Amino acid sequence: MLRASWPADVLEWTVFERARTAIETLFNEPPDLLVVDHNLPDMSGAQVASLVKSENVYRQLPVMLCLTPDDLSGGLDFGQVECDDFLMAPYDQDTVNARICLTLARASRSLDANPLTKLPGNTSIIQRIQDAIDRSENFALAYLDLDYFKAFNDKYGFSRGDEVLMMTARVIVNIIRGFSGVKTFVGHVGGDDFVFIVPPELAEDACRRIIKSFDDIVPHFYDADDRKQGFIRSTDRQGWVRDFPLMAVSIAVVLNQGGRLNHYGEASAIAMSLKKKAKETPTSNYVLDRREHPAS
Amino acid sequence: MTADLKTEAKGMVLEVKSLPTLPKVLDKVTQLLENEESSIEDIARVIATDQVLSAKVLKMVNSPIYGFPGRIGTVQHALVLLGFNVIKGIIISTSVFDMMVKAMEGLWEHSIGCAMACSCIARRAGFKDPEEYSVAGLLHDLGKVVMAVQLPELEERVSAAVKEKDLSYLQAEKETMGFGHDRINAWLADNWRLPPNLKEGMSYHHKPHQAPLYPDMAAVLHIGDFLVRVYEFGYSGDDQVPYLRPEAMKQLGFKTADLEAVMDDLGRELTEVADLTFG
Repeated sequence: MLRASWPADVLEWTVFERARTAIETLFNEPPDLLVVDHNLPDMSGAQVASLVKSENVYRQLPVMLCLTPDDLSGGLDFGQVECDDFLMAPYDQDTVNARICLTLARASRSLDANPLTKLPGNTSIIQRIQDAIDRSENFALAYLDLDYFKAFNDKYGFSRGDEVLMMTARVIVNIIRGFSGVKTFVGHVGGDDFVFIVPPELAEDACRRIIKSFDDIVPHFYDADDRKQGFIRSTDRQGWVRDFPLMAVSIAVVLNQGGRLNHYGEASAIAMSLKKKAKETPTSNYVLDRREHPAS
Repeated sequence: MTADLKTEAKGMVLEVKSLPTLPKVLDKVTQLLENEESSIEDIARVIATDQVLSAKVLKMVNSPIYGFPGRIGTVQHALVLLGFNVIKGIIISTSVFDMMVKAMEGLWEHSIGCAMACSCIARRAGFKDPEEYSVAGLLHDLGKVVMAVQLPELEERVSAAVKEKDLSYLQAEKETMGFGHDRINAWLADNWRLPPNLKEGMSYHHKPHQAPLYPDMAAVLHIGDFLVRVYEFGYSGDDQVPYLRPEAMKQLGFKTADLEAVMDDLGRELTEVADLTFG
């Protein structure tokens, strides 16, 4: 039934009769989707699911459990069973197809999102940039990170640090989305590193607005006395007591115009060298790479 | 009996779902939102003239959903963090209560006036973020609005007591219910996770000398409320001339000359606002 629904070059199914024979293949060549019958001769489907999902490398693999009405009335605890959806016998072709498409779509949506900010993560970021390069689009790619975030985290603890990251994400997203009618993108690389893409002519405006809003808002995330004195006293990596300024943003912007970039890696390499420049000042600032072609 | 009334009233107050807004403010924000050229700053300026809309955006941005409860105290910052879509949602779900417009207009003017007075005072005192004092001034009588919506019968009894016994609104509240709008403000501020300095301004503006954490805020609000009543700008529920606590002046290091300077500024600003909104 599953094979009949999609051509083999769209969805290819590998079928196992017993769980034990399947597991090694699952670990070696993890599929995009696992559909497992709950009532297998050697183990239960729920056991297979938890075996696969207990290892964080495979946690993202979507698992669908095939159930009978008896399984459900027997009281399956979905807080314990690690499946993402289920199919119910007797199987109806259209429902099964729709359920499988939905599960795959849901998995791809949630797969790469940053768990804290829910912004797209690295896989989506790289894909997005490479797509734009391949289409020879003109775009500005900005890498943004926070100065003195670590000192803040060390002094106030990571949950206060997370508050700042949530705030930063909101500021970037709302300012970038505020440019209506143009193609934009915001991603969260991880930690205090963010990425955004705007048309080249909007890049400086975007940087200025983000810096203005961030600098206005960030003092409110400090305790009143630290905010008043304008710095925090904390111990650095070498164990010295040091004063750290309030957090600031550094933005490095790479412009791709006239098909200058060929590969994602070039963009990030240029950005990293620009970032050093942006980090030279303790206050928020941005650096734009205006070179037209690497050769010229 | 009083304890029961208080518990019951608190429950009712915190159940508040929709608060009335003045149609002209709502119309203005709606117009701005429809225009693609509008900036967050434009919208913030209008929303910051309405205590209900301001309270709504601050409540939302400080909710745990966004991940930084109790941090954001100005409308401008709230709007940057919420974004246009959420602001639109808030505006769509805000109702206009026609029958309350008349009753609210006086309180609306009083609240705007107090916001301006607090901003003038904070600037005169040399404080860093005058907007925060302004927001606290705007929200300092929010409890009265919520009470009118959630506990209309109690509100009527309070208003009647003001007239019959020639009491201040606060005295009448205490006599009728055993607690005042300052207490209601504290419930709301806690429940909505507003920043602690706003909460203290909202709940200590009648007793600034008792404010434990942010005495500056409470003192600014106390004087602001006093001044806007002296100017008879708007109507906050009674015609009493309030008592200006000397502790509040002392807290800010204010002399009579400072007060006069503030009054000059405020007088000018109030005239401008009156021209703009009621002309």
